[in-house]
Amino acid sequence: MAKLLDVQSFTKKFGGLFAVYDLSFHVDEGESLGLIGPNGSGKTTTFNMIMRELKQDEGEIFFEGKEISKYSTHERVKMGISRTYQIPRPFSEMSVTKNIRVGIMPDEIMRIIAMNSQSHTERKIGKSVGFKAHALAMYPRELSMGDLRRLELARALATNPKLLLLDEVFAGLTVGEIGELSELLKQKRKEGLAFIIVSHDLKTLAPLVDRVVVVNFGQMIADGSFEDVIANKKVKEAYLGK
Amino acid sequence: MKKTLLLWAIFAGLMCLLPLFTSTGTLRIFIFANFLAIFAMSWDILSGYTGYISFGHPFLIDIAGYTTAMLTHHMETPLFLSIPLAVIVTMIAGSLFFFPALRTRGTYFALVTLAFMEVTYGLMQVVKPSLTGGTRGLSGLPLLVTGAIPNYYLSFFAMLLIAIGLWALTRSGLGTALSAIRMDEDAVKSAGLSTSKLKLFAFMISALVAGIGGALYTHYLGSISPRNMFDINFLFTILIAALIGGEQSIVGPILGAYFLTFLLEYLRPYIPGAWRYLLYGVIALVVYYYAPKGLYNIFQAGSNRLEKKIRKNEQYGQTT
Repeated sequence: MAKLLDVQSFTKKFGGLFAVYDLSFHVDEGESLGLIGPNGSGKTTTFNMIMRELKQDEGEIFFEGKEISKYSTHERVKMGISRTYQIPRPFSEMSVTKNIRVGIMPDEIMRIIAMNSQSHTERKIGKSVGFKAHALAMYPRELSMGDLRRLELARALATNPKLLLLDEVFAGLTVGEIGELSELLKQKRKEGLAFIIVSHDLKTLAPLVDRVVVVNFGQMIADGSFEDVIANKKVKEAYLGK
Repeated sequence: MKKTLLLWAIFAGLMCLLPLFTSTGTLRIFIFANFLAIFAMSWDILSGYTGYISFGHPFLIDIAGYTTAMLTHHMETPLFLSIPLAVIVTMIAGSLFFFPALRTRGTYFALVTLAFMEVTYGLMQVVKPSLTGGTRGLSGLPLLVTGAIPNYYLSFFAMLLIAIGLWALTRSGLGTALSAIRMDEDAVKSAGLSTSKLKLFAFMISALVAGIGGALYTHYLGSISPRNMFDINFLFTILIAALIGGEQSIVGPILGAYFLTFLLEYLRPYIPGAWRYLLYGVIALVVYYYAPKGLYNIFQAGSNRLEKKIRKNEQYGQTT
């Protein structure tokens, strides 16, 4: 299968500390990749570099075979990479619908101005991630953590991505909400969307991924199927200590 | 939408009838209020919406004012040419200075724009005084129209057209996108939008409005001088008008401009000189304390309550 995203030798240094060091991995089209590792191992930094919210010190990044290091965040989103944040970042003074509307906006001023304010697309996306009709008019301050994560997901899906980066998407959710979200992600996988999922909840992650990459201190220590990496000695040491 | 357009029409109708009932003196106060409303709306579309607080708006107003003043004074350019040229120069020159500044955020942006204003103030007095008139500025400039009533209509219709234009623009998706920048600029980028493009567009519109206001104001006064235009009080009057009225609303700055102008005028007989500014500072603080989102918000909340009550009554009427 063709590589959708190919990260080669990503390195990022903060002061004297390597947050990510010589990290290489890839995601195939339609593949779901788990990115796991202990706290501070460089998972979110890797996401930030994929989205160009941080610039890598060294390394290259290819999307659909094209080197995209010089592309800015919004250009990468337009190419088909989207993300959610570990701590939800909704537009606080906007309703759920308006939050999603920002995601579907075209990157052209005149088309933004001409956008129909009664568009049904955002309602459709909102409902597809599980929002009830009355919740679409609600403001982020009125939403539960589960709904805030739904909103993050809806805004990311609104950009029509080919690859979706999910950062701790199950954190702070109830068992019921985790179940609903997992089902939604499974459905999106079936539709051909590729994922990189960062999660500490390995039990939930297992059925959602084809392959797992494990990082520790910014370096890759394992790459393989979920069962293989969990059985890996280095991975056990990273999580449990020697 | 229809209701709001009707409100605009009522407002325009009432304001058109105003010269029938008021004295020339009061009309002159309205003229200044109209210009202040234009400047405050220009500030609102950039700073109110995107959260990039500009302390340099007098800089934009002055580029327009000085361009048209110099063109008419030295080259006897007709006003129908000098005013559009001044607006274009404001948009281009303003962008050259402001665009690099739009890469800075928060307090830095505010300080950089304040620095533009102060540096231009200094330069205007010493560089080529034969052209700019130096510290004394330029006077005897041609007037667009003479007399209080024509000037009132001119300033009012300029303000009204700008207000309706900006109001429509901010009620479109553009208003949502610009407000989103204020709330979380990085999240807007993550939604696939170029924030640089959006900010530049907001700035260009802001400069366009400031340019029109600045050029018309100069030809209303018939003179321009650095001391009046670069006065820090002028900057704060614009800012307070927008904030007191309610930023991110376009209508708010108009309310704020009228409120402030009339407040200062009615205080004039009682409190002399700069003491008035102290009092209006106090009034501004009181308004912020009780209505931090401005006067427009109070009106809007009141109108929403009224609407709800009417709807409830209608429902009650239907069920009984």
